[in-house]
Amino acid sequence: MLAARASAARAASRIARNFATVVDTAGVKVAAADNGEATSAVTVIVKAGSRFETKPGVAHALKNYAFKSTDKRSTLGAVREAELYGGVLSSSLSREHIAVTAEFLRGDEAFFVDVLSSYLTSTKFTRYELSEWVAPTCEAETTAAFSNPATRAVELAHNIAFRNGLGNSIFATPGHHLTAEDVKAYADSVFGAGNVAFVGTGIDHAALEKLLEKSLGKFASSAVPSSAPSKYFGGESRLDAHGGPQTVFIGFGAVGAPSAELAVLAAHLDPTPSVKWSQSTSPIASSVPAGSSVQVVHLPYSDASLFGLLVQGQSPADVREAGKAAVAALKAAGGLKGEELQKAIAKAKFTAASSLDGRDGIVSTLGPKILSGSSASLSDTISSLEKVDASAFEKATSSLLKAKPTYVAVGDITSLPYADELGL
Amino acid sequence: MTIAGPLGPSLAPAIRRNRSLYQWIKPIANWYANVSGYRKVGLKYDDLLVEERPDVQRALERLTPREAYDRAYRFKRASHCSVLHNILPKEEWTKPEEDVRYLKPHVEEVEREDLERRKWDSMAVERRR
Repeated sequence: MLAARASAARAASRIARNFATVVDTAGVKVAAADNGEATSAVTVIVKAGSRFETKPGVAHALKNYAFKSTDKRSTLGAVREAELYGGVLSSSLSREHIAVTAEFLRGDEAFFVDVLSSYLTSTKFTRYELSEWVAPTCEAETTAAFSNPATRAVELAHNIAFRNGLGNSIFATPGHHLTAEDVKAYADSVFGAGNVAFVGTGIDHAALEKLLEKSLGKFASSAVPSSAPSKYFGGESRLDAHGGPQTVFIGFGAVGAPSAELAVLAAHLDPTPSVKWSQSTSPIASSVPAGSSVQVVHLPYSDASLFGLLVQGQSPADVREAGKAAVAALKAAGGLKGEELQKAIAKAKFTAASSLDGRDGIVSTLGPKILSGSSASLSDTISSLEKVDASAFEKATSSLLKAKPTYVAVGDITSLPYADELGL
Repeated sequence: MTIAGPLGPSLAPAIRRNRSLYQWIKPIANWYANVSGYRKVGLKYDDLLVEERPDVQRALERLTPREAYDRAYRFKRASHCSVLHNILPKEEWTKPEEDVRYLKPHVEEVEREDLERRKWDSMAVERRR
């Protein structure tokens, strides 16, 4: 048992050490940790999310151009070869980053790293692929996402809260015509040294670096895509929708680097119980009527964050009641101190730490930090959470609530409450 | 390029490679293109390509909207000529320099894709370790 502990400790120190050393290879940042997983994964993170896009939807199209024909292999070639190796290729888009991931068995890294780097260096961006593959995929993803009222509400809330930049939708809407030239111009402006990071798990750092040196040899240098610093506006919007639960989003934005206080506030308000089928001690949990739910939405970005409560219910009356309870709890949260505050901090620490357990969490949490060059270790996050005290928490909460709220109602807009009716 | 491909067999690449043969054949080819009459109803050579097969249909979808529109217009004008049992006035004939292969690159691209798919479908995998 002692031996097992010792080896676990050694593994932990190795993760910390490996992720702490971010090395520039061929102009890109590379971080890798090998914890002895059975499979490897390499993700390329590009600062090219919808925030930086030059035309609505271009980032979404660029994301869907991943694994299409390049100078090295055709679309079909990439699919068939990946299948022969038994790997999985995927891509995802957030407001600030495009992440393209390859997961594969150990030993196949040469092929999969080459697939990822040829996406960056030599995608052809042909017109027919846009019309035959990329645009239909974008449209299907948009339709699927917007059929969920929660996604609609959060998308609209971003637009109201930040207007441009972070307010851009991550989903391409069919109303905006995109050409392959637009996507290619956008790709040329974002695929460059200093704007790209590779994150590997289950792969040796030196091996990944060596493969990248080989496959990314002629990587062009590029300027960082420009984006005005985010400003928070706020406002109210109502969207008629049917077929889903009645949804209300009550949000507040904060400008500046994401603060630990907001993470603690999210942990304090989150009504998800720690034990299944029980009721959490969150102030919201006891006053939410049956059949409706309140979720805490805390979305930190590089220079702003959106904090909010997503209230969903079967009937507008339920939503009104749950929304009133949520707003009351949010307004009372500033006075949190003592044991209650410590409890919220512990929960926030656990959330931060457990997000680094899975691959998705590592990429989405550490990737942006690796790309921006800030410290990519968990201990900094934990220590900043531990430093939160009652007065700092009170200050952060009151300054958050002082701003104009972002309020979105999706569903039956004739009877869903307005912001002032909930006490905002 | 395969014999049964959408473009059919062609000796043109071999003839183009041989300079003196090309100089002999080219005037005959020009004469043949003019005498075959499609230019007199305003068509281009690629309009005559057999389009009732899936690969050419896929290539047709890859035309730009402008090219697709012009193609439809030429067909309409030519079928009108056919109804009238007449040809166009001489100034509306397709000029030799306008008679470009606008569809051929797309057909070749589709054919390459089909051949590649066939190659992947029928390959024998040998794994080196």
